[in-house]
Amino acid sequence: MTASVERPPAQPLQELPPAPRGSLVKAELHRFRARRFIQVLAGLGVLGWAAAIIIGLFTFGTPTETDYAAAQAQVDRIIQENETYRQQCLDDPPSDAPQGVPADEVCGPPLTEADIGGVESFLGKAPFDLAASGTVGAVAFAGLASALAFVVGATWIGAEWSTRSIVALLFWAPRRMRVMGTKFGVLVAGATVFGIAAQVGWLIMAGILDAAVGTDQPLPDDFWGSLLQTQARGVLLVVLAAVLGFGLTSIVRNTGAALGIAFVYVVVIQLILGNAKPSWSPWLLGTNAAGLVMDGGVRLTFWDKVDYSADKLGQPVEYYLGNLQSGIFLTVVAVLLVGLGTVLFARRDMQ
Amino acid sequence: MPAVVMEAVTKTYRGRRGRPPQKALDDLDLLVETGGVHGFLGPNGSGKTTSIRVLLGLVSADAGAARLFDRPVPDALPEVIGHVGALVETPLFFPNFSGRRNLQLLAEVAGVARTRVDECLDIVDLRDRAGDRFKGYSLGMKQRLGIAAALLKQPRLLILDEPSNGLDPAGIRDVRELIRRLGRDGHTTVLLSSHLLAEIEQVADSVTILTRGRRVAHGPVREVLAGRSTHDVVIRVPDRESAGAVLQAAGFGLSPFDDVRGPALAVHNVAAPGEVTRLLAQHGQYLEELTPVHADLETAFLAITGEPA
Repeated sequence: MTASVERPPAQPLQELPPAPRGSLVKAELHRFRARRFIQVLAGLGVLGWAAAIIIGLFTFGTPTETDYAAAQAQVDRIIQENETYRQQCLDDPPSDAPQGVPADEVCGPPLTEADIGGVESFLGKAPFDLAASGTVGAVAFAGLASALAFVVGATWIGAEWSTRSIVALLFWAPRRMRVMGTKFGVLVAGATVFGIAAQVGWLIMAGILDAAVGTDQPLPDDFWGSLLQTQARGVLLVVLAAVLGFGLTSIVRNTGAALGIAFVYVVVIQLILGNAKPSWSPWLLGTNAAGLVMDGGVRLTFWDKVDYSADKLGQPVEYYLGNLQSGIFLTVVAVLLVGLGTVLFARRDMQ
Repeated sequence: MPAVVMEAVTKTYRGRRGRPPQKALDDLDLLVETGGVHGFLGPNGSGKTTSIRVLLGLVSADAGAARLFDRPVPDALPEVIGHVGALVETPLFFPNFSGRRNLQLLAEVAGVARTRVDECLDIVDLRDRAGDRFKGYSLGMKQRLGIAAALLKQPRLLILDEPSNGLDPAGIRDVRELIRRLGRDGHTTVLLSSHLLAEIEQVADSVTILTRGRRVAHGPVREVLAGRSTHDVVIRVPDRESAGAVLQAAGFGLSPFDDVRGPALAVHNVAAPGEVTRLLAQHGQYLEELTPVHADLETAFLAITGEPA
């Protein structure tokens, strides 16, 4: 049976008021905050951070004068014993010593306190040394946060592809570049907050450890400047890692595939190739990540390349990878990946 | 102004992994006038969903033109997308978000008031389960949420691709009523793609039938059916054998059958039913019943597309 209906005349199409400015950004921010994966990650991060503080409080201690005196006595004894052996060596050099090498070189210089890690190394529980640990901790927090940020970036767009909800979103916001740009912007904002939170977490943790079990030694003059610069670069690394995850997943449209590629890259290219061909290290992401965030960059030694210049005959080539160079390299790679992913998204048929 | 126009639209998908290219749309024409319900019929793989994807800018056509409310798509799609609601194949939502949150996210994108979310949940009778995670929904609930999402914008054009998938009989009836109601409201045009031909027949005012990416019939449902009249009648008489002999001698094709009401006789290619009455009366056979066999949409669809019944 066919339905026969009487219809009122159709209304002419009227212009709809445009969606409120920033509505897509608001919706994407809403989704970012509401994602269970990010909430779980944040919760685990806070738990891990609290556990690290507790472990730190038990690992470091507040030695008494007596503890210091005992440790100092141990250090002095080791230095004295070593000096005795050294004097014996100088008086009676070993018979198998190379010909023509002075006894000073054969027997080595006198042992110092610094050579054996200082008096703190001989304490049962050494105090927390903020001056020595400040930038090291900032780098470690940046490294951990970057690994998580990569996963967040990959799953942020990967979840859209796996559920294909990005296709449904295009029914509402058909400008694909705007959709991709908004998702990218929200991710960068989220990663920035995450990176800052990680570094603030380190500062709070270091502050607690310093107050509870820290040394009484004054901090060096340039301590805070150096630490804050390292932390700022750490935040940049977190953002770049998130962008790399986002860009790679945009290309392959699958979180698992993107994480698999990242794993293979780290194991095969970064570790194996990096060790087999050290001269390629300046072109590897992991090396550049270290170059970006480490205070003063990293100094690489190319064991596979020998410098035959007059003054360094036979020495392996040394290469300085600075913060700026590493930052530019990582940024270029991130831009290329996101750019390719965006172009493919704009041109692909959505099925 | 038509709601939907497609003119000579062609789309060929690239072959992948050694498969040959696949022509999904082949000079397809589609015209959906504003208002009412337009059925979109075709066998699986005939190009219905590809057509819808072209209209929504998800797939780019190789040739031809498509327009929504007289605006060319995909170029002017942002101008008209606020008037278009769509459910294409399986509803696409975030599995770990609740039904309500999924709709709220979409409402935020378009600047739709949050109160509209609950209105739409009410329409599809899903408000009680709106707080549950989407991944815990049954297929029918997912489908209803998809319809609710399509309704959020109070669209002038509602595109529904197989909306009854997974619904139970009561759900199918509810969706049918909803589509019928929307088609009559003077505001909404419904483009309904479905393999449930009876459903199309019950709610659609006009229909387009396509096969292998081409339109093979279109127009008001009544006209499409009229063009496929069977010219068959079913008769019941006290003595089926004698009546059959009379009609056979006169050159009619016959198919005797039995149903719950008893023995009957289908008489084929009857140009004028009065001829059957006259012949039988002349031989002392008097009819208890004579019923013309109307073509239903399924019959017409199968005949037009060449699909086996």
